[in-house]
Amino acid sequence: MGAAILALFVLVLLPLCSLLLGSIRGEGGVTIGHFVEALSSRLYLKPLYNSLILGVLTGLFSVLIGLPMAWAVSRTNIPGRRFIRMTATLSYLSPPFLLAIAYVNLLSPNSGLINVFLRDVLDADWLTFNIFSMAGLVLVTVPHTFPYVFLLASSALQSVDASYEEAAEILGAGKVRTALLITAPLVAPAILSGALLAFVNAIALFGSQAIVGLPGRIVTLPTRIYALFDYPPEYGLASALSLLFVAITVVALYLQRSFLARRSYVTLGGKGSRPQLVDLGWARWVLFGVCFIVFLVAIAAPYAALLAVSVSKSWGLDFWKSLTLANYRFVLFQYDVTQRAILNSLLLAVLAATLVVGIGAVIGWIELRTKVPGRRYLDYVALIPMGLPGIVMAVALIQFWLAMPIVLYGTLTILLLAYAGRYIPLGVRAANTALRQIDSSLEESARILGARWSTTMREVTLPLMRPGLFAGWLLVFVPSIQELSASILLFSSSSITLAVAVYNLYETGYIEPVAALAIINVLIIGAVIWRANKVGGAEIGRAGGARHEGVAS
Amino acid sequence: MAGITIEALSKTYGSHDTDAAAVDDLDLAIEDNQFVTLLGPSGCGKTTTLRLIAGYIMPDAGTIHVDGRLVSSPGSVVSPDRRGMGMVFQNYAVWPHKTVFENVAFGPKLRKIAAAKLRSQVEDTLGLVNLTGLEGRYPNELSGGQQQRVALARSLVVEPEILLLDEPLSNLDAKLREHMRHELKQLQRRTGITFVYVTHDQTEALALSDRIAVMHAGRLQQYGTPYEVYAKPANRLVADFMGLVNLMPATVAAVRGERGVVDLGAGLRLDLALPSGIAAGERVEVAIRPENVRLGTEAGDGDAHAHAHARAEIVDRTFLGNLTEYYLELGSGQTVRAQTHPRQEFAIGDRVAIAVDTSLCSVFRSEKDAAQAA
Repeated sequence: MGAAILALFVLVLLPLCSLLLGSIRGEGGVTIGHFVEALSSRLYLKPLYNSLILGVLTGLFSVLIGLPMAWAVSRTNIPGRRFIRMTATLSYLSPPFLLAIAYVNLLSPNSGLINVFLRDVLDADWLTFNIFSMAGLVLVTVPHTFPYVFLLASSALQSVDASYEEAAEILGAGKVRTALLITAPLVAPAILSGALLAFVNAIALFGSQAIVGLPGRIVTLPTRIYALFDYPPEYGLASALSLLFVAITVVALYLQRSFLARRSYVTLGGKGSRPQLVDLGWARWVLFGVCFIVFLVAIAAPYAALLAVSVSKSWGLDFWKSLTLANYRFVLFQYDVTQRAILNSLLLAVLAATLVVGIGAVIGWIELRTKVPGRRYLDYVALIPMGLPGIVMAVALIQFWLAMPIVLYGTLTILLLAYAGRYIPLGVRAANTALRQIDSSLEESARILGARWSTTMREVTLPLMRPGLFAGWLLVFVPSIQELSASILLFSSSSITLAVAVYNLYETGYIEPVAALAIINVLIIGAVIWRANKVGGAEIGRAGGARHEGVAS
Repeated sequence: MAGITIEALSKTYGSHDTDAAAVDDLDLAIEDNQFVTLLGPSGCGKTTTLRLIAGYIMPDAGTIHVDGRLVSSPGSVVSPDRRGMGMVFQNYAVWPHKTVFENVAFGPKLRKIAAAKLRSQVEDTLGLVNLTGLEGRYPNELSGGQQQRVALARSLVVEPEILLLDEPLSNLDAKLREHMRHELKQLQRRTGITFVYVTHDQTEALALSDRIAVMHAGRLQQYGTPYEVYAKPANRLVADFMGLVNLMPATVAAVRGERGVVDLGAGLRLDLALPSGIAAGERVEVAIRPENVRLGTEAGDGDAHAHAHARAEIVDRTFLGNLTEYYLELGSGQTVRAQTHPRQEFAIGDRVAIAVDTSLCSVFRSEKDAAQAA
């Protein structure tokens, strides 16, 4: 118990404090100079502006894509419902920086395959699209964020009791009026909440903003903070900018929470019936077509591109004339970083997921089953990292551990601390949900039969929590193994991770080996999820509520 | 006002091959100004029938006419918003994002009623259900009973000719339920609206209805006044569902026209009316309500008007306040429940004489024979 509380301090509170201290420490003592500079120089205001624009556009497009899909899946007779749900899930799981790399291969202004095809074959210059732009950045970000809107909106649409709508109809309101006056206000909080989660997650994605934004001179907060660590590192300024970043995220999450709190009434009504499905007639195929385009853009096209690039000798219109596996041989056996990176990533993800779920279980138990004073604050502290984008977490950890006598910088340990700290909210949520579903009378009846506390935990509580904890474990594992935003500031050549290896190789410009490494990366993620699903059975979905909360990537 | 005529109505959910029909060949004529209850256990098709009347679902076969106008048939259903009915849902379905006033004003607003008139209409209706003063509250600030009345007011304010109620009292506690039951009955009398009321609670049905339609497994079992349904059940299912009953196997000893003698064993022979077509020697079941079994001391000073006597031993007793319930064992080993005034006291082990008021008993073919006959 004490260990879990101590872990919260080390993982969350102390780094955050050192971030605060770092932002106001100047050469001659306390200063607000860093904040003044961050808020006055165009060098920092422009990234702030870009991040906000990116977040707003991403939120908007996430709603435009996620909401119709959610409505189609939960309220109409659209074909291929499983396929549409799978599209959303895969989009969410797929690493955003790989999507960015894939789209660079397709849409970079000079050599992107689609652009080349449009220009050289169709002679349609005006149709070409420059991925290195704000529009391009939105394009590679939305596939990762629209699932937030989709998931929240579809669960809200399904949980609105049908009788609310039927009551309006029998009073004389037609379908359209019922949708506008009754359904829309009831599900609006969920949609807004999804849009805000999309916003928060979008602005935190370092990988796509570096890969697609920087070549187009669109500097955002994460890429600007990253640049501040070029020699000589400007810790104070980085801390101040990080705190601004946190402020934006926290405001958005606060709004999101208050919307979500109002959502509670959607689930009222208990025994109500499910809404009847709207028969769209031929229009259902049109809607399905739209969903299929989302699948093409978010999954099929980028992964087909990555696969094609990875097996071509040199990427171009006639790449298929000379196929090769040499790229795979190179990244797996000749590029000495790869194997180390794979091992590091697997090790870190397993350790982080286990650590986080363990801490989460203890904290959840303290909060729900004990009367320890101040137990609610534990929960609040454990949720703080939701407001910390990955790169900010890295800045905080660097600040804190550089001041400590132990050398952690550049080790696997500091990466583990970063991952565990970032994803602790997921673990606490999962444990909390799992524990809430276990009525305390189940534990009490074991006690009255003579079982000691330890026996009760072993025989009753933990076995019942296991499915929920397992789902939580997976929810931490997946983002951990593709973590880039924090790792990029914390890695060293010995502690390099898979995502960092992909990014570094990309920076050097070898696009074919990068694609091969990217495919390997996806295969590893896919294999683990598939394996875990086999072991964990269908239990993932049940405790999947934690996923809706999301964490800034 | 408006009556409802249902003819040969059928509805099956899911595939027709695998699932039993929710409503199966239902005929029902609901007259104007009546309080009609659809009664039956859960899954009997009563709610489906109500939703078919409301127009939420389309029948597979059959028709529904309201006031002679065809509103539902396979392939064509007048949508709920054009039926001018009202409906009160089991979970009330009071919109959580609207205040009490906004909830009730929803219908009148759709009807483009002028603001001043709308306000007075809404306030009058809220007065009718005793909610004056709560106009500005949100549903989550109301008790279950108050929400229920908001739902009622919301349906009544548009002055529907037909009001459909789907177990509206089932989520209320016992005291409030009785109170609302009384108010609903008053309201129906006062307004003359045709009420179609769905419940699984037979006491509620008896207390409220002009007519009761007892349903089971999608089929109508009996349609009649509360007294008919209780005292003259059409079949074993109805007898069993309408309150406590002893269903006792017996053999027909003699038949004389419409009456006959049945032998329950242990010296208990009853002379009573028989269903037509029953022959001597046939096996039947006799339905005897516990309140129609009278107990006397062994000497035989039982009710002089009773038509049959037998001896039995008291094996268990339960004091219920307004009455006492006894479990009696006949010489044949059969158990009979009897209810008496609490002043009449017996101890466990006492031997008593029992008398059965045969004018209130019903005889049914025993299930096995009935199955063979059909």
